[in-house]
Amino acid sequence: MILSTRSLFLKIFLWFWITVIVTGVALVATWIILQPKSVQSQIQTTLEGVAWASGTVAVDELERQGPSAALAYLQQFSQKAHLKTCLFDTSRQAISGSDCGIFEDVVAHAPASGESGFVSRHGFSRVVVKLQGKSGREYIYAVEAAERHGPPSGVGPLGVALRWSVPLLVSGLICYVLTRYLTAPILRLREASRHLAQGDLSTRAAAGMERRRDELGSLVQDFNAMAARIEELVFGQRQLIYDISHELRSPLARLNVALDLARERKGSDPAFDHMDQDLERLNEMIGRLLTVARLDSSAVPVAMSQVDLTELISLIARSADLELRKNDAVVHLTLPGQFFVHGNAELLHSAIENVVRNAIRYTGIGNPVEVSVTTQNTAKPSSALIVVRDHGPGVPESELANIFQPFYRIADDRNRESGGAGLGLAIAGRVIRIHGGTICARNAQPHGLEVEILLPATTSS
Amino acid sequence: MDRVLIVDDDVELCRLLGERLSTEGFALEAVHDGLRGLERVLSREHAFVILDLMLPGMGGLDVLRRVRAQSPVPVLILTARGEDVDRILGLEIGADDYLPKPFNPRELIARIRAILRRTSPAPERTAALTVSGIRLHPAAREAWIDDVQLDLTSVEFTLLETLLRDAGHVVTREALTETVLGRALGPFDRVIDVHISNLRKKLSVSHTDDRIKAVRGSGYLFALRSETAK
Repeated sequence: MILSTRSLFLKIFLWFWITVIVTGVALVATWIILQPKSVQSQIQTTLEGVAWASGTVAVDELERQGPSAALAYLQQFSQKAHLKTCLFDTSRQAISGSDCGIFEDVVAHAPASGESGFVSRHGFSRVVVKLQGKSGREYIYAVEAAERHGPPSGVGPLGVALRWSVPLLVSGLICYVLTRYLTAPILRLREASRHLAQGDLSTRAAAGMERRRDELGSLVQDFNAMAARIEELVFGQRQLIYDISHELRSPLARLNVALDLARERKGSDPAFDHMDQDLERLNEMIGRLLTVARLDSSAVPVAMSQVDLTELISLIARSADLELRKNDAVVHLTLPGQFFVHGNAELLHSAIENVVRNAIRYTGIGNPVEVSVTTQNTAKPSSALIVVRDHGPGVPESELANIFQPFYRIADDRNRESGGAGLGLAIAGRVIRIHGGTICARNAQPHGLEVEILLPATTSS
Repeated sequence: MDRVLIVDDDVELCRLLGERLSTEGFALEAVHDGLRGLERVLSREHAFVILDLMLPGMGGLDVLRRVRAQSPVPVLILTARGEDVDRILGLEIGADDYLPKPFNPRELIARIRAILRRTSPAPERTAALTVSGIRLHPAAREAWIDDVQLDLTSVEFTLLETLLRDAGHVVTREALTETVLGRALGPFDRVIDVHISNLRKKLSVSHTDDRIKAVRGSGYLFALRSETAK
């Protein structure tokens, strides 16, 4: 799958992912903002409880058995509970305990009797309480605990990277799958509609997608129904053209024979000649219509072989030249070297001849028609470029694309005297297309029409 | 009066054609479906057969295939204009020539005349002709290779005869079309080439080497034995 920066897939994917990431970040942020208070108060409560309990025991020991017993208890307790403790008297002199020095600051602001003070900083929490012994004397007792909920200290940069990348990867993967699920049918629909637009009317979106029960499934169903309808209509129209042309031939065949009989019986008459001419014209038109209908339906295979384009075009140019000489004009033929194409000689002949005849018809009295063939090596495989140029009035820019439509005539051109029914270029367009080539028209300077035919060439045999 | 058979489902066309052909000295019999047509062709009462390829019952190509299994009678097929596949198939099966429908009746008459004239035994050339082991009896319109008789249609016989009479020399496609079919070579006219190809197939049954050579750009040549040895 090719992703452009504007592709729907990328857009949906990025939006999903960003949403997931932002949500995650917001969650973590909220957690961090709300967490310290609660944790701190929890620590405070616990530490206070511990301080009250151990302080009371220490004071008790002190009053009953003296400072050494209190120190022994406090040392033992500190070791067990991983705390630092110290007992002071009310004049803030240390009575017993290890590390009494660290409590100097806190003890300075000793709380009232029966109350406690709490300080938490640099990852340490300290609690100071004021106790009353059984003797009625008051003491100050301090406890310090190393905070275990502080910032991670045992996690290295690899760990940090892992912590970030795993959620990113997981969310990315989920977003990718979700996006695929949503956009795959759209991409396939797009593919199918492009094939349809290119003229492959049998195209349908993948059948598997029709089973989806969501809106995309309905869209695919509707698309397929539409494609089927278009195919039916276009096929019906082609069949109609074919059938009509076919059916017209029977009466035409009879008319031919009847007219000939009439000639036999009544002798020659100009009226008969007119009828003959029109019959011939009708016949040709029907033949061309059938050719168009046949070329439009891909069902009929076209026999292809190696065709000598040089010979073909010389032949056409020669007969066109004969015709043009009646108008005091000539055909300029530029034909360097030999060109071969893989195709159907008869169809190619009629295609190129139609283009040349069209040029002859419009070039005007005394103006030449130029035909040139060159090799186009830039394209792969190399192609033969046939250019036919006349010096007529040209075609309005807006109508250039339409001149390859059947029965298309430029609005002010009603001159049917010169023959043709607007089928010549339609046939040419279709023939060139089934040969894998392209045909286009453009106006030449200062005036005239230039038709370019590009055909894939083969190497000479 | 030559009897001509037409097999075509267009009754009215057949009636008009019958009228037209009678003024030219032909008696036209018309049948309108394939099976009946086959039956009538095989009765061998006709000098010439006009066969439409689009027929109810049995298709024109099937009729032609069965006719060719038994009879060398000249057959002209009527094809829908532009339907090349049918036309080529028809010629390969053994039709002598074709005419796209709708046709000009004068053209049809000219074709019938030409083929009939070419395929009827010519009294002035009755002498047997033997070239490189191929023996022709123009009077009986029979051809033999050694002791095997060749099963040729009338047109194929004329074609072989023309090539043999000029053996060793190139005969142009124009000349062959003129002599064998009695008409001018048209643009993209491959009829004579299809006949040559059919004739080659029939000759190859008895000859291992291909005696009919194509000469690019000009025509065909029947090579004499000494030349093929080269």
